[in-house]
Amino acid sequence: MRNDAPALATAAPGRWRLSSAAPILVAALAAAALWVAPSVLDPFATNVLTRSMIYAVLAVTVDLLWGFMGALTFGQAAFFGIGAYAAAMLLGQYGGAPQWMAAALGLAVAVPAALGLAVGWLSFYHRSTALYASVVSLVVPIVVVQLIYSGGEWTGSSSGLVGFDVLPFEIEGYFRLAAIVMVAVTLAAWVFARSDAGRALVAVRDNDARCAYLGLDPKRLQVVMTTVLAGVAGLAGFVFANASGVVAPENAGFLFGTELVIWVALGGRGTLLGPVLGTIGIDYLGANLSGDLPFLWQLLLGATFVAVIILLPGGLAEIAKRAFAVLPSKGAEETAPRLVARPPKPIQVASEHPLLTVSGLAKSYGSLKVLENIDLAIRPGELVSLVGPNGAGKTTLMRCLSDGTEPISGAITVDGAPIAGLAPDRIVALGVGRKFQVASVFESLTVAECLLLARASQDGLSLVGQAGTLSLPQAALDVMRMTGLDRLLGTSVRLLSHGQKQALELSMVVALEPRIILLDEPTAGLTKAERTTIGTVLKTLTSDLGIAAVLVEHDLDFVREISSRIVVLHQGRLVLDGTVDEVVGSELVKTIYSGGGHD
Amino acid sequence: MLLILDIMTTAAILFVVAIGLLAIFGVLKIINFAHGAWLTIGAYCAVVTAQLGFNPWLALPLAFLVGGALGGLAELFIIRPLYRRPLDAILATWGLGIVIGQLITLGFGRDVQFTPNLLSGTVTVLGTDYSAYRLVALAAALVIGVAFAATMEGTRLGLSARAVIMNETLARGLGIDTARVRLITFMIGAGLAALAGVLLTPLTSVDPTMGVGWLIGAFMLVMVANGSLLALAIACLLFGAAQVLISTFVSPILGSIAIAILAALVLRVSPKGFARA
Amino acid sequence: MTEAARRLEPGMGGELELRDVVSGYGAISVVKGVSLHVGPGEIVALLGKNGMGKTTTLKTILGMIGLRGGAISVDSVSVVGLAPSKLAALGVGYAPQEQPLFQDMSIRDNLRLAIASDRQLPAALESVFGYFPFLKDRLAQHAGTLSGGEQKMLILARALMLRPRLLLIDEITEGLQPSVIDKIASVLLNERKKSGVTILLVEQNLDFALKVADRWAVLKLGQIDDEGPAEPNERERVLRHLSV
Repeated sequence: MRNDAPALATAAPGRWRLSSAAPILVAALAAAALWVAPSVLDPFATNVLTRSMIYAVLAVTVDLLWGFMGALTFGQAAFFGIGAYAAAMLLGQYGGAPQWMAAALGLAVAVPAALGLAVGWLSFYHRSTALYASVVSLVVPIVVVQLIYSGGEWTGSSSGLVGFDVLPFEIEGYFRLAAIVMVAVTLAAWVFARSDAGRALVAVRDNDARCAYLGLDPKRLQVVMTTVLAGVAGLAGFVFANASGVVAPENAGFLFGTELVIWVALGGRGTLLGPVLGTIGIDYLGANLSGDLPFLWQLLLGATFVAVIILLPGGLAEIAKRAFAVLPSKGAEETAPRLVARPPKPIQVASEHPLLTVSGLAKSYGSLKVLENIDLAIRPGELVSLVGPNGAGKTTLMRCLSDGTEPISGAITVDGAPIAGLAPDRIVALGVGRKFQVASVFESLTVAECLLLARASQDGLSLVGQAGTLSLPQAALDVMRMTGLDRLLGTSVRLLSHGQKQALELSMVVALEPRIILLDEPTAGLTKAERTTIGTVLKTLTSDLGIAAVLVEHDLDFVREISSRIVVLHQGRLVLDGTVDEVVGSELVKTIYSGGGHD
Repeated sequence: MLLILDIMTTAAILFVVAIGLLAIFGVLKIINFAHGAWLTIGAYCAVVTAQLGFNPWLALPLAFLVGGALGGLAELFIIRPLYRRPLDAILATWGLGIVIGQLITLGFGRDVQFTPNLLSGTVTVLGTDYSAYRLVALAAALVIGVAFAATMEGTRLGLSARAVIMNETLARGLGIDTARVRLITFMIGAGLAALAGVLLTPLTSVDPTMGVGWLIGAFMLVMVANGSLLALAIACLLFGAAQVLISTFVSPILGSIAIAILAALVLRVSPKGFARA
Repeated sequence: MTEAARRLEPGMGGELELRDVVSGYGAISVVKGVSLHVGPGEIVALLGKNGMGKTTTLKTILGMIGLRGGAISVDSVSVVGLAPSKLAALGVGYAPQEQPLFQDMSIRDNLRLAIASDRQLPAALESVFGYFPFLKDRLAQHAGTLSGGEQKMLILARALMLRPRLLLIDEITEGLQPSVIDKIASVLLNERKKSGVTILLVEQNLDFALKVADRWAVLKLGQIDDEGPAEPNERERVLRHLSV
């Protein structure tokens, strides 16, 4: 079976096509148009749009953090303000000679980035919540503004700083500078968001637990993004300080942070261009209207914002998308990478040396003992089923095996290495793959992108491009072919059936090339045919490749068919560990399942 | 002695301002970022009461009723569609706050309004002259806190609300009309916020954006209290003390951000804050 | 209690009818066409392994999970689309399995929550004290401080508080000592004799189910796989569906 050719790919080898060049083309056109724009715009419009474009840079950073990565942030204003103040303070002190200008630029990026690193570290940690990150992002601008107030002459306190040296440009020059920075940042963000690494951001938003169980460190990605985008916000602050010649505390404030979020939401989070156009449009419109109708404009904006959040979460970009959806579009299959098989890893020989050992494991929630005195050893090539009535502790045992940060007593080792204290991604690195009960996949991605992420901990991800080939171990290809997933590479996961999602998750876990697979009810909710397929896959993985599998399963016919060993848990204790025949014939098991078996 | 009184009354004011937000967060698991706007609504109820020439104390029940009624509308039309999107609910309520602020501006102008003092002068407490009104605020906090606790512990509504807080699925399964509990809780929370707005009028200037400044502090305290009234009281006392002490002995600027920073750190160490710490 | 008193109001006996019921979570249908009739005053045990749709069936009857197909009626009145609060008002009691108690609430408050008005409280309390006298002295105690068996008895007591005409019970015997299981069995049989309550019992404990129920049905992969009368000689037949 494994000698078959890899599943046929539908994509052509050359992937350089119009769609890849589109961002650069659009960027070049935008840059050209914006370069000539100042000659036709009046000075008021030029000034306002310069500011709007700088804000658009911030909107891009907010969109990457919130729209793509899922962390609602009010803190970008603070990083922007710090960048602006760093530049203004240095230029005010030393003047605008080129070397000081360069230093100001460096400082305007470095200081916010350093603070961003600290904020990221504070916001994102194992088991942190999205709400906590938002709370921290609220605290940051408040603290920064108060520090500016207390800075005395250094920061100009509440009146801000003016009169520092700036770049020797006319207003057209600032307009072009802002335009170039905006186009460059947007282009970079666009390329990144479309790249494989950019898809990882979406994966973190969709399901950060699955990321961790693919051996990735979602928290580190979030910290890195916070740091880098704080630096970008600082860059925008530098341009702002130069173009406006004045910096004030409200540039760093929480209210400005909320305005950024409003612009991004109205433009359409997660679309990059939506927030850019939304920011420019709203800020420009606001500058024109707020003179005549100051309160009415704010009222209108607020009301629109509330309505968009409730009725149109995708913002104005969603309307554009719906309009475009009427037009015929190219099939999604077109963009899927080509499947290739990677050279197999040496097959694990079945040995008496256990891969996984559990000794004296006990776990309790408060006074409730869930597991007690569990001893278990799993060897390569074994397919062990964990069975037992409800509440026996099966899923808890699986959790303890795959997350070393669960408080337990007793010891668990993988290939001799204790896993105590290790987060899930570190245990994956030891060769343990876990499949969850409810298919844990990335709903916003395609099948191919999910599998690419499954390989990311070993093969890495491109920051700029999309991989042309998807190189998977033969076993994963087999799972995909048997379940028909190889023909659905470009399909959005959202459109898959329940069974296909289960198969996809299993493919992802197998693609990790684990030595042990933990599966929690892999057949739950599947049809008879799908269950047979999964059973065959599991038998192949264990008997041919020497992978060890531990399976929690309630379908006892299924268990009887595929297991090499059955372990019976009852009320948190391991009551029986034997071959299929031993367990099936056991009177004790009958007693347990008919309701007895109590001490 | 002055310091102790300052700490007690600061904590009391924080408590009064935060309790409406706490009620809503506890039961609905929604952060009402329009809380500041409801404080403002309450303060303008005091303005209206004064303009009509009524007794200024009459503003308290008026604000509770107006705030509660408007809260009911907000729950029905804005909060209810967003229960499954709590982060979006933060944004929508923030937008609602903007709308309310602008409507108040359109109606009353953006200038600072003056309200008659509810109570002026000082009293002598153990040899220290102290603002009588701040002591009233302390008493008000105690009354509101006790009334709130009594409602939660003693009434049918409080029982249902506690059930929803602890386990909404089970509460629903046992036949509690959770939608109604949410609506009434939001109305009470909004009413309490407006009530707090009236109580703030002698301490702060009244203008259309006055609520925003109080929102963040209240929000931080509620996060740390994690829905528990007792934890909120503790948080107000500890953070209020920190604010007063830092303002007095270090710098008023640092004092003003003490609550935000302390709350962020407490939550980092213990995600449930002071609740069952 | 005489036989005549058992049926106080004919036709109001909590008769439950499920016809081709389909329901589930997200993209998954867990219950795939279940038809089941529980006559007034009858006790039916719904058996089956985990993940076969037993709890989902109960939650669908209660309106906690949306019905995707089929019909559900209580005493010939359709309950489809009714909120759980309306079902409680119709006299449908529920003893859930997962997180079944408010651990940090007093026993008294846990019991209070089952009834709509505090005016009924004293009488309702008296009636459940008859079955579970230990509750009487411990009303102020937090539910979380009770032992496992006591908690299960509290769950059942709470379901009985509203004098239900239909009682839905989810794995009440899970993890219990035989003596407690016997106690629960006798309470259920007594209550049926007294009030004529209809009971749908989701169970994994076969012996308990056969002892209490009049009939059994086995749910497999979201459908009724087999059913029969609850008689001792049916044990082997049912066990084949449940064991390894």
